[in-house]
Amino acid sequence: MTSYFIRRFLLIIPTFLGITLVTFLILQFVPGGPLETALMQMRTGGQQGSEAGSTGTTQGIPQEAIEELKRFYGFDKPIYERYAIWIGNLVKLDLGTSYKYNEPVWDVITERFPVSIYFGLVGFLLTYIVCVPLGVYKAVKNGSAFDFVSSALVFIGYSIPGFAFGAMMLVLFGGGSFWDVFPLGGFRSEDWDNLSFMGKIWDQIHHTFLPVMSYMIGSFATLTILTKNSVIENLSQDYIRTAYSKGLSEKKVIFGHALRNSLIPISTGLGHAISLVLAGSFLIEKVFNINGMGLLGYQSILDRDYPVVMGILVISTLLLLIGNILSDILYAIVDPRIRFK
Amino acid sequence: MSENKNTEIKEETVKKVSVSILQKRWRKFKTLKRGYISFLVIVTAFLLSFILPLFVGKSALLVHYNGSYYFPLFNTYQATDLGQTRDPYGEANYRFLKKQYSEENQGNWVLMPFYPFGPNENLLNELEGNPPHPPSAEHWAGTDDRGRDVFARLLYGFNIGLSFALVVTFFSYIIGIAIGALLGFYGGKVDILGQRFIEIWGTLPFLYVIIIISSIINPNFLLLVVILTLFNWIGMTYYMRGEFYREKARDYVAAAVSMGAKNRIVIFKHILPNSLTPVISYAPFAIVANIFSLVSLDFLGFGLPAPTPSWGQLMQQGLTNIDYWWLIMTPLIAMFLTLLMITFIGEAIREAFDPKVYSRLR
Repeated sequence: MTSYFIRRFLLIIPTFLGITLVTFLILQFVPGGPLETALMQMRTGGQQGSEAGSTGTTQGIPQEAIEELKRFYGFDKPIYERYAIWIGNLVKLDLGTSYKYNEPVWDVITERFPVSIYFGLVGFLLTYIVCVPLGVYKAVKNGSAFDFVSSALVFIGYSIPGFAFGAMMLVLFGGGSFWDVFPLGGFRSEDWDNLSFMGKIWDQIHHTFLPVMSYMIGSFATLTILTKNSVIENLSQDYIRTAYSKGLSEKKVIFGHALRNSLIPISTGLGHAISLVLAGSFLIEKVFNINGMGLLGYQSILDRDYPVVMGILVISTLLLLIGNILSDILYAIVDPRIRFK
Repeated sequence: MSENKNTEIKEETVKKVSVSILQKRWRKFKTLKRGYISFLVIVTAFLLSFILPLFVGKSALLVHYNGSYYFPLFNTYQATDLGQTRDPYGEANYRFLKKQYSEENQGNWVLMPFYPFGPNENLLNELEGNPPHPPSAEHWAGTDDRGRDVFARLLYGFNIGLSFALVVTFFSYIIGIAIGALLGFYGGKVDILGQRFIEIWGTLPFLYVIIIISSIINPNFLLLVVILTLFNWIGMTYYMRGEFYREKARDYVAAAVSMGAKNRIVIFKHILPNSLTPVISYAPFAIVANIFSLVSLDFLGFGLPAPTPSWGQLMQQGLTNIDYWWLIMTPLIAMFLTLLMITFIGEAIREAFDPKVYSRLR
């Protein structure tokens, strides 16, 4: 099985090259790239300088300046050469410099890590802490009124996209026409530094509550129902009958026998926990005005900040591909019946 | 007499045997009330939404003016053609005409749809104050920031959103099933190469690509369908690939092959019908996901072009004007009800197709 996973790890390389190459190519065809933007700025800047100067001239910029700009952004070389240079730098762990922030891409991205990890981890932990026990309880009480009501609630949650739920919460509790309970968004209050320790904790919870709810609402249904079905399936197995017939209490049967096997499909999702570093839906971040990874990715596309776009792509792709393999490894560890070859 | 009875019984047993598995599932589905009722409601609403101008719209169904009849649904008439006195410029305004005719009392009349406002018409010259107007008896869900009736936009948006999701689901299923079937059936090198390709394609940041393409070409319904389909077929291939891997090892496939059946026949006639269960039971959830996608794109402003009535665009307005709660609550409720019903359908289909009946042992 070791050889299987070594092969899987090696297969990351072609996949990774494919993904970056395709994205790199697509980015070349987008209008309004950094070169055009820079030329535009020079033009308008020149106009502002000489107020009565010629308006709307495209020839206002000397040829050498254009060449200079092209060299600066690397557009004087053909695409394949640029891609090769980019890959070469990547191997040296150099992601380039952001056009917009004029900082190394790595710094721009890591600056957002704390926010992403915070929301990602809180959402992730809360989802597992709530959903797994809820799923188990629903399975044990299958068919009861509690099961019916909570199922309905879970499906209602499944039918609302996270960002729409967030927007609704903001309208209701963000101090518009209804109640003013929660802040309109942001990661922390502006006077964060002046707050007392308890004030900081309260402020953080205050700002966290609605976004985390929005993050959780989608995965809530999937995980709860997955747990429930998995437990139900195990409860109807022969080994459970054996456990009951040898006189074990219901508690022991469920927690000692059924639960352990039921958690197998759930544990596989843990492999993707490493992607939490980059967590952040830009829809939700846009709604709550949180300066996280999602918003950075979205904004960098709008700004045509290609080094940042590619940087985020590199990190997220690697995390995803490695997460896939980690999930499979976990699967094999938890369930000895599974053999990959 | 007794002979008769015997044949009757025989016929009955024969009938019982001939119930196909699909009929059985349909019967099971009908017993799951929550899903079945949702199914009826959604199908009826969707079919009605194609003749929506008969119920909701700015054009009159029938105008009787100076002894002749006019059908504004099929023709456009100028205001002067019908003797409109208030703002008699451009196209006729049938709400004005209705009021005017009844005031004049000369035997002319206008038959308006039940809810006489269109999704794209600007009502600024009929309403007082600045838009957005709050909900009222006349405008059930108020107006948006350009003075358009929100309720009409919601209903027309339902038709567009659901049609969009259905078309995208249909095409991505065809592609996904075909590719997944090929990978699973042929296996080996085809499978390894195909899987790498799918992995690359699937990891591409799909929303990014859509945003990039939308910023080059102004998207329309067809283009968005194509783009979304290109990224949506992937999920299905995993299912189909697995199903084909499992099914092709079965005896009936070996039997078909040994009888000399061509690959084409084996794939389409033997394996495919046996592996469609996950496809069908997954479809409602795929439709939900596609409605999500369109709403998100519209919300971000990368969706359907400007005047198209859409839920996402309304929500976007609602978020920028957070004091006008109806702009965000009404599309949310509309979307919520639609998606909830489709989810119920999906849940019921899944249950009807699931052969496993769990019995708790204790």
